[in-house]
Amino acid sequence: MTTLNRAWGHLTLTGKVVIPLLFLALVVGPIVTIFLATVVGPWLADVLGANPEIVRFVVAITGVLLFSIPAAFIIIYMELKVIAFMNLRIGPDRVGPKGALHSVVAGLKVLTKEDFTPTGADRLVFTWAPVIVFLTAVMVFLVIPFGPGLVGQDLNIGLLYLFAVGGMTVVGLLLAGWSSFNKYSLLGGLRSAAQVISYEIPLTLSVVGLILLAGTMSVYKIAEAQQGWFTDWYVFRQPLGALIFFIAATAEANRTPFDLTEADSEIVAGFATEYSGMRFGFLFFAEYVNVFIISALMTTLFFGAWNAPIDINSILARVGLSPVSVSLDPGSLGIGLLILLLVAPVLLTLIFAAPFYLSRSSRPAWQALVLGFLVFNLVGVMLLGLLAYIGWPWMAGLTWFMLKSFLFVYVFVWMRGTFPRVRIDQLMGFAWKWLLPAALLNLFVTAAAIIIVKS
Amino acid sequence: MTTPGKPHQHPSADDPRIMLDDQIGQFEAVPPYPPRTEREAEFYSLRDGEMFLNMGPQHPSTHGVLRVVLKINGEQVVDLDPVLGYLHRGVEKLCENSDYHHIISQVDPLEYVSSLFMEWAPVMAFEKLLDVEVPRRAEYIRVLTGELLRVSSHVLFQGWMALDLGGLAPILYSFIERDEIVEMLAAITGQRMLFNYFRIGGVNGDLNHEFMSRLGDWMSRAAKQHEANIGLLNENEIFVRRMRGIGRLDAATALRMGASGPNIRASGVPFDVRRAHPYSVYPELEFDIPTRGGNGGGDSLDRYLLRLDEVSQSIRIIDQCLHNMPDGPIMARLPRLLRPRPGRAWAAVEAPRGLYGTYAISDGTDQPFRMKIHDPSFVHLQLVGLLMKNNLIADTMAVMASLDPVMGGIDK
Repeated sequence: MTTLNRAWGHLTLTGKVVIPLLFLALVVGPIVTIFLATVVGPWLADVLGANPEIVRFVVAITGVLLFSIPAAFIIIYMELKVIAFMNLRIGPDRVGPKGALHSVVAGLKVLTKEDFTPTGADRLVFTWAPVIVFLTAVMVFLVIPFGPGLVGQDLNIGLLYLFAVGGMTVVGLLLAGWSSFNKYSLLGGLRSAAQVISYEIPLTLSVVGLILLAGTMSVYKIAEAQQGWFTDWYVFRQPLGALIFFIAATAEANRTPFDLTEADSEIVAGFATEYSGMRFGFLFFAEYVNVFIISALMTTLFFGAWNAPIDINSILARVGLSPVSVSLDPGSLGIGLLILLLVAPVLLTLIFAAPFYLSRSSRPAWQALVLGFLVFNLVGVMLLGLLAYIGWPWMAGLTWFMLKSFLFVYVFVWMRGTFPRVRIDQLMGFAWKWLLPAALLNLFVTAAAIIIVKS
Repeated sequence: MTTPGKPHQHPSADDPRIMLDDQIGQFEAVPPYPPRTEREAEFYSLRDGEMFLNMGPQHPSTHGVLRVVLKINGEQVVDLDPVLGYLHRGVEKLCENSDYHHIISQVDPLEYVSSLFMEWAPVMAFEKLLDVEVPRRAEYIRVLTGELLRVSSHVLFQGWMALDLGGLAPILYSFIERDEIVEMLAAITGQRMLFNYFRIGGVNGDLNHEFMSRLGDWMSRAAKQHEANIGLLNENEIFVRRMRGIGRLDAATALRMGASGPNIRASGVPFDVRRAHPYSVYPELEFDIPTRGGNGGGDSLDRYLLRLDEVSQSIRIIDQCLHNMPDGPIMARLPRLLRPRPGRAWAAVEAPRGLYGTYAISDGTDQPFRMKIHDPSFVHLQLVGLLMKNNLIADTMAVMASLDPVMGGIDK
């Protein structure tokens, strides 16, 4: 008892608070857990099981919010690095390996900065405009299928939802420009209104041909309809539509060469001029989330969504082999599984470490062991990834979807590094004189072709 | 100032309630004085649908600290008023209170992109006052370094032009060229930007090994690199369309407004100080004076392309300088304290931006009695008002960048 008393006396004030709480947690924690598992758990499972749509929605919303921020971080880093490469610079290289954590730290920096509202700004609108911009960008994710079964909500009017919600971005930009009490911002907001509304029309018309072909407006079903070889992708049946969609989507996302809303050499960042701190962060994130969205849409609508370009199973069937499938049953190993889990890492680490140890006599044994362990991990992850790719269709789908989407992100970054900016009259003239007639032509030709083929 | 109904409240600057309608005007770009001229009164009165846009002095594409008050109707620029003086240092007055050697470093930062030319004109004027003959080797070195700097200035212009039109990459390619040139000039002058190299009666320091080896490296690929840089931009449809037909300046107006240099040559007038009023060793060198612009005069694209033509000519001149470089001294023999006899002298050189001249009056002391600097950027800035009107806001960048002003020389 005296020992306990003395130990108590040595504790600081924080310790005197934390230690009892720790004991409490140790005692109360299991009791609460047991209570939740036995009483609340079944009830909750019943409720959730009865309403799977709500569960799906909540999970999808959470997943989308959790996904959009890292995606934006990756795209920001990618843009910095790729444009640096094109400009013969080094780019970010301070935080993380090769500067990979740069955008994360930039995000933290934005969080810690002063949130400034200029005099004369409409405070309410000024505060909420970035939220509108960000939320509309994130909401679009809900109907984009990332893989077979990996879709937030498979709406049967998915494409309509996409354009409706996507078009709402302009409301946020216009509000941001108007409420800033700055003429550059006002010009930027009005430019974005004119631009986004003009390009909304060719953007929507360019996919009508696709809707006719697919016979559905559900994005998920459009993605499913492109299964098979890469020749089944809609880009080969709707090349003009794909081109118009690409150009119009670039303008919708305010990317170079259509980045007039934030033309830094003319109207000094436009609607974002007066924003600072996390409000600017929201606008900034929304821009990069939009880049991912238009890339994902290009992939989903025209470039085969999650489908691999080559249908391996059909090749195998032609050769006479059965489709590849994983039929591993770990349980059948019995006690062998336990032994494998215990022995395999040690054994494989030693095996992979051997070449490192033997290749150079001056290398210490611990270094070789660490390297061997890393190689073992790498091989393990690759094997597991391969297993997952073969075993789970959604994993394969996600892989292809991400690959294609980031290919398009790269194209957008590439464009930003290369192109100058167009002028506002050229921008509007291009939309109304070229894109709109081309989109209409595409629609009529598609419709005529469908009638001819069917009759 | 109190809000009606709340007499005891002290308003603060960030209280949104004090933004009453009649006070919003205080944020407009009106001058702080009653209009002094009819033009000012007319400019600062708004018609329906118009507003002022105060561009600068802190704006990314006004090439320094120029402030342009634009009167806009939507995206259309109705009228504009350039406001100068944010970089004024009183260089002419400083020169009048420095002795002749010090003046070289006073005028250096005027046009910081091509500072050797800023030294050249005063030095030539003082040499006329002192009646000094400059050694031929010094003259050749002046031409050689000057043309190098002209290449650097024009290449940098190419990058700025693209940057002002929204292209991010070319400026960095331009800076690679400029970096190589300023590094080789640093090898003989010791500085990268404000060289302080020309002296009255010659130059400060002979060509050395490092300079020659760097120059040799650069010359071996300069023409090829120039072609590559041209290919980077000139084929770009967006870039060309942004500039074609914008800011058209016809030959008569250009002459009337006193334009010079690439801007007047782009309007079809083959005026080049190097040929019109030959100085230094330019009469011995072979080079063409490229002109552009047809009957309608030159637009922004012409002015851009003309500068690229001049780069090729400058490379040609550098090549000849290297082949004809004579041996001999690089400084004339002069007393340490210079007291020219009373008189006046005018000297002009062809700077990358046009005719840059100096008019100096000596009263027999070791300081000039009066020194007037004629800067081409200042003259070209008055074209801004002519060329930008009735264009779009985005075109103001295309016009401004193509005139290529440097604010250091304008505000002096």
